Amino acid sequence: MSDKTSDVIVVGAGIIGCATAYYLAKKGVSVTILEADEVIGNGGSTRNGGGVRQSGRDPRELPLAMYAVKNLWPTLSEELGADVEYCQGGNLRLGKTERHLEILRGLRDKAVALGLDMRMIDGDEVRAINPYLSEEVIGASWCPTDGHANPLKATYAYYTAARRLGARFYSGCPVLELRKVKGELRQVVTPEGTFEAGSVVVAAGYDSRKILNTVGIDVPMSNVLIEALVTEMEPPMFKQMLGTADADFYGHQTSHGSFVFGGDSGFETVNEDNGHDRTTSVTAPAICRGILRYIPKLANAKIVRTWAGFEDVCIDGVPVLGPVDEVPGLVVACAFTGHGFGISPIVGTLLAESALGEPTTLDISAFRYDRFAARA
Amino acid sequence: MNRTDIIVVGAGPAGMSAAIEAAKRGAHVTVFDENSRPGGQLFKQIHKFFGSKEHHAKIRGFVIGEELMEEAARLGVDVRLDSTVIGLYQDKEVVVREGEEVSHHKADAIVIATGAAENMVTFEGWTLPGVIGAGAAQTMMNLHGVRPGERVLMLGTGNVGLVVSYQLKQAGCDVVALVDAAPRVGGYGVHAAKVARTGVPFYLSHTIKRAEGTDHVTGVTIAQVDSHFQFVPGTEKHFDVDTICVAVGLSPMSQLFKMDGCKVVDDRKKGGQVPVVDDLGETSTPGIFAAGDVSGIEEASSAMIEGRIAGLAAAEYLGFIDKDEMDKAVVANDAALDGLRQGMFAPKNRGKLVTTTEEGIPVSQSLLEHGYVADDEIARFPGVTRRVGIHPVIECTQNIPCNPCQDACPKHCIKVGDHITQLPAVEANSACIGCGMCVASCPGQAIFLVDEKDEEGFADVTLPYEFLPVPAKGERGVALGRDGSPVCEAEVVSVRQTRAFDHTALLTMRVPADMAMRARFFRAGSAGAAANETSAAAATAAAE
Amino acid sequence: MKEICDRTRDLGPFEPKPGDDQIVCRCEEVTQGEIRRAVHDGLFTIAEIRRYLRCGMGLCQGQTCSRLVKGIVARELGVSPDELEPASSRAPMRPIEMSVFAKEAERDER
Repeated sequence: MSDKTSDVIVVGAGIIGCATAYYLAKKGVSVTILEADEVIGNGGSTRNGGGVRQSGRDPRELPLAMYAVKNLWPTLSEELGADVEYCQGGNLRLGKTERHLEILRGLRDKAVALGLDMRMIDGDEVRAINPYLSEEVIGASWCPTDGHANPLKATYAYYTAARRLGARFYSGCPVLELRKVKGELRQVVTPEGTFEAGSVVVAAGYDSRKILNTVGIDVPMSNVLIEALVTEMEPPMFKQMLGTADADFYGHQTSHGSFVFGGDSGFETVNEDNGHDRTTSVTAPAICRGILRYIPKLANAKIVRTWAGFEDVCIDGVPVLGPVDEVPGLVVACAFTGHGFGISPIVGTLLAESALGEPTTLDISAFRYDRFAARA
Repeated sequence: MNRTDIIVVGAGPAGMSAAIEAAKRGAHVTVFDENSRPGGQLFKQIHKFFGSKEHHAKIRGFVIGEELMEEAARLGVDVRLDSTVIGLYQDKEVVVREGEEVSHHKADAIVIATGAAENMVTFEGWTLPGVIGAGAAQTMMNLHGVRPGERVLMLGTGNVGLVVSYQLKQAGCDVVALVDAAPRVGGYGVHAAKVARTGVPFYLSHTIKRAEGTDHVTGVTIAQVDSHFQFVPGTEKHFDVDTICVAVGLSPMSQLFKMDGCKVVDDRKKGGQVPVVDDLGETSTPGIFAAGDVSGIEEASSAMIEGRIAGLAAAEYLGFIDKDEMDKAVVANDAALDGLRQGMFAPKNRGKLVTTTEEGIPVSQSLLEHGYVADDEIARFPGVTRRVGIHPVIECTQNIPCNPCQDACPKHCIKVGDHITQLPAVEANSACIGCGMCVASCPGQAIFLVDEKDEEGFADVTLPYEFLPVPAKGERGVALGRDGSPVCEAEVVSVRQTRAFDHTALLTMRVPADMAMRARFFRAGSAGAAANETSAAAATAAAE
Repeated sequence: MKEICDRTRDLGPFEPKPGDDQIVCRCEEVTQGEIRRAVHDGLFTIAEIRRYLRCGMGLCQGQTCSRLVKGIVARELGVSPDELEPASSRAPMRPIEMSVFAKEAERDER
């Protein structure tokens, strides 16, 4: 490796890191991306369910999702020169009981207050939108501007586009330490040597924690293993992103026809964290049972693959984003809590701005690192 | 959760052998296999196996499969067929699909013996229906009684390509050519020779340029390749075929190890990704063992021994036997395995060009380049002697671990010696009585009886014959040379079929005296007529 | 640093080759040319190629094409296929209907 100096270093080549690198490179800034894994995007970026969803978001996060859906996702394939399979098919969050509908109404009220087009619909209207849903569904929240995209294509589209613009990516290059020079974060130490930059963006999922620890920063988050599965190709059935009030499954049909679904077994919080992302023997069957209660028509769809991935779950449910005052030169982006994909284009934009000290497109003060406080 | 001592995945030769050894030591063993028939590839193997008599030599594969199943049943091994292992999860748990539901099974040790899958190569038109794996063709013929096609081209001259070509002929298919991009035949010379003498041409340093046809294969074009495997312009040859068989090697199906997190490596000599194992087949996960092709592509004979060793090791791991007892049993198996891993085709020699035999005799170049030993090369091998009167002619010219011929002769005319890979020699002062036991016992069909009657001007040549219909005594036809071309007219003077010959007919044909050392196959009818033979052994296998 | 990890490596412009229109992964209909182009775009590992193009992600789970894809990627990068990390193996080992996976058998008492 020759040139170890650049304007900005991004730690982590997931979709957040790749998007940040892309928007920086697009501004003509020199950027180096350091990825610990040999594979680009090997964390949650290529393991998530692909939801591009505004509904159901925390009010702090909703403006980011709405901005991305309005301004970035519709033109992203064109912008990056690769089809990210964005499909604005709407989001149905399904309910089977009155209690479910109560939950959904609560979500709707919060979203509508912030200007999102989201409404409650009854079972018949649900089945008019998606005729494959079972009679057990008695209602749903409906957000027509939600949708889904292909997270694998989107991650690698950002990566390849950034690379074309001159962003320098190194995989298999774990960060050992962040180092300040004269009070400002300037150096990133790796087994391949020390890299230098004017600012450093840390977007390394749960691994951000130990990296940030080297400059005395600790993000209150945990590492939770969740699972997903994909079926063989099926004829096109529906375009909506689906979720449930009961959170027993979520998913969509991809543009090439397979269904991607996620869910849980209920044991996630106590499962042994043995450090690797192995699926358990009980989760995929549980997800299947969840799906079939809502979409019985999929009984014969064959599952070809299951996988697991870690979520960096923040103590208060929304990510930590932006500059850290205690460490000038440091920008953080982690603890996405399982919903980082849909907002990745705007987060990349905001982080690029933050790294350069520019005013940000949206106010991100709600995501500040220093927002956490112990019980009073 | 179901619980047992040992779970074996795969009821092939390795898995069944492991299950048997462990069950013998008192372990409860459950074997899962996704197929409806046990035995893995054994029940497709209608040919006689190579090896020593201690290790099933000259027994046909499917018979070995039956023996293993019977022994397992006696020992109370729970063999569950149509049971697909969906995954290997934490703490030695397998999830199994049986029928329309899944079940969970845990064991304290697991033996994975999932075997291998066929490799593919790409060429223009390779996705057309009619392009199939050689193993698939074998399954169709030998398990389901379905002929894969009428006219077949075989790509690949390894043992699979050679054996399946022969079986295709037995099933009545016309094998138009055996093609290999390598400059030399990859499999045993004796397997090649028994195909070549039926008239199948070998094209070495050739490969498929394109498969032709719109909705299925109607033809194929091959062309010569240079030493960099680039096509040589102007060397194209076309064949009308409806089937292209691809026999370009096997890859271990090692996915379960990867799923468990066992250490795996890419090892080209072993055929692909294999688990890292110790001498007992134990992987980097204690209590998880590998045996058979999944830990490196070899023969069924070695798979069975590896299986036994893994079964013993699993029994020891769980305390059913102590280490001393295991070591003693393993030593004997190691010796046998070592015996099988000798000779020109030993795993350690893979990819090496062997030019002389262990005896210092130059290897037949014609055999390597054309599939048959040339007439002017054959005399230099120790099994090939001439004299007046009946005597065996053993056209076994490469060092392979096989010796049933030595024990077959009641008069001790044949000597391989203590080293199992040595070329069989005919003892100078032996008293051959023409019983034919050696002819029928040779898994390579490389032994002939020649009765040279110079004074009468003719010779009787006895050859192993495994096609149907078996020609009748008195039938006239054509004698074919080693290269499969007609050399003279011939008349069948005797056909012997006894139980001891195990479905190999001994056909004796009368040829002019000067053809005694050239005539090696019989084709009924006139020189031009195509053979229409069906396999005696295949028919028998299906009937049983 | 392993060669495949230095993503600044320039493999030069993509030059079409004979056979580029040949399908390599028949389940997902991915061609040799698509794979070669993806390598030139910076996707240097088998995992990335699979995720980007879907080759080896279909019904047969790469049983047929894994070795072929590996060969193409290695050739394009000028490395030995052994240097490329094998694709991961994930359950189910054979495709399984949702209704079957969903149905757990009673514990059997055999």
